[in-house]
Amino acid sequence: MTTLTLLGSRYSQDEAFPFGPMSQFAFRTVPDGRIDVASLRGTVEGSTAEAPLSTASFGLRRAEVEGSMGRMAADPTLLAELVHAREKIRRDLPRLSYVRIVQTNYLLKAGRRVGLRESTVAQWRR
Amino acid sequence: MNWLFAAQPRGRIAWLRTIGYLFIPVDIFFATPWVAGHADVPGRLYHALTVSRLLHLPVPGPVSVRISMWLLLAASLAAASGLRPRLLGTTVALLYAWWMVIAMSYGKVDHDRYAYLILLAVLPTVGRAGHSDKAVDTESGWALRAVQLGVVATYFLAAVAKLRFGGWNWATGSTLTSAILRRGTFLADPLVGYPAIMVALQWGILIFELASPLLLVGGRVTKWFVAFLYGFHAASYLGIKIAFWPHLVALLAFVPLERLTKAWTWRPGHIDFPRLSHPRQAATTVGEAR
Repeated sequence: MTTLTLLGSRYSQDEAFPFGPMSQFAFRTVPDGRIDVASLRGTVEGSTAEAPLSTASFGLRRAEVEGSMGRMAADPTLLAELVHAREKIRRDLPRLSYVRIVQTNYLLKAGRRVGLRESTVAQWRR
Repeated sequence: MNWLFAAQPRGRIAWLRTIGYLFIPVDIFFATPWVAGHADVPGRLYHALTVSRLLHLPVPGPVSVRISMWLLLAASLAAASGLRPRLLGTTVALLYAWWMVIAMSYGKVDHDRYAYLILLAVLPTVGRAGHSDKAVDTESGWALRAVQLGVVATYFLAAVAKLRFGGWNWATGSTLTSAILRRGTFLADPLVGYPAIMVALQWGILIFELASPLLLVGGRVTKWFVAFLYGFHAASYLGIKIAFWPHLVALLAFVPLERLTKAWTWRPGHIDFPRLSHPRQAATTVGEAR
């Protein structure tokens, strides 16, 4: 156990759970770099107004959406499957007609927030 | 080696069983309800962990996640009773380990439950324990020490990971600013304008994590370090809405929980609070209330 934990911390990645490195917050954010945050936004059927959607209603945490959004950008049917899952998880919520994954980049200069940029990573339309 | 098996109170094991197993329903429904949310997530978003590949574990699905949840819930409530500690404790440990596979297989792995997993693994190694058990033995000592070492490892290896991925310069970066921009509360948001405070806090975190083996010193050092840690986690929760709930349960392995039994001992007509400085006065008050 001890050996696996120590070796895991030195050499392995997250897949080695529970023997992987304790890497939450371990990565250095460059003070002149940027901070990325993903979010989900969408439109419900019969409306044109876009609103933020909780990732939990899709059965995922935000970091899990971030971990998979590259694949969703490459294959939009994956986002369609997620919308389908949401309809099962949250039957109480109105159906969606449009969903997009938005990447927000906070731009930093000397550790201070100096700007903001947004882009759409993947989208789905009914 | 003797230190590893040094006798520790058996009553604490009983309390850790009660709290540790009753935490599971809290975890399932309140602390990490997103685990159950994975039931309906498309299988294509599943990223197998190494352990799942080695053991050929199946991809979680809507039925298996729900069945696992109810089994885990039932087993944890049964185990919290303290009956059949080896059988029920082992069942809970295995079911919870599988629950964690469901939790961590969708692209994000947390590190808040290493010590808690050790707690669940070692509790069944101790036989029956009562809350009012006065015994101090090596069986309990080894189990408690294992959890305590797990707690220390969580902090110390978190520092090791920071040095591995960020180097000593981790502390001069903007990782806390990132955490606050991503999930800060109104209490923490104003701090983002002061990078120097962030760097100071980051040095503080790195240093206390590297100092975490001091938790094993015992006496006042341990007591104050544990109090500091609960304070640190409370501040993190207020600032960035993150609490390492299972880890906080495991941290109780350092706390003399067995004293709770003494404080809560109740006899008809008499409440015994042993730590009151004026017992006679306290007895009078209780008498008057009657």
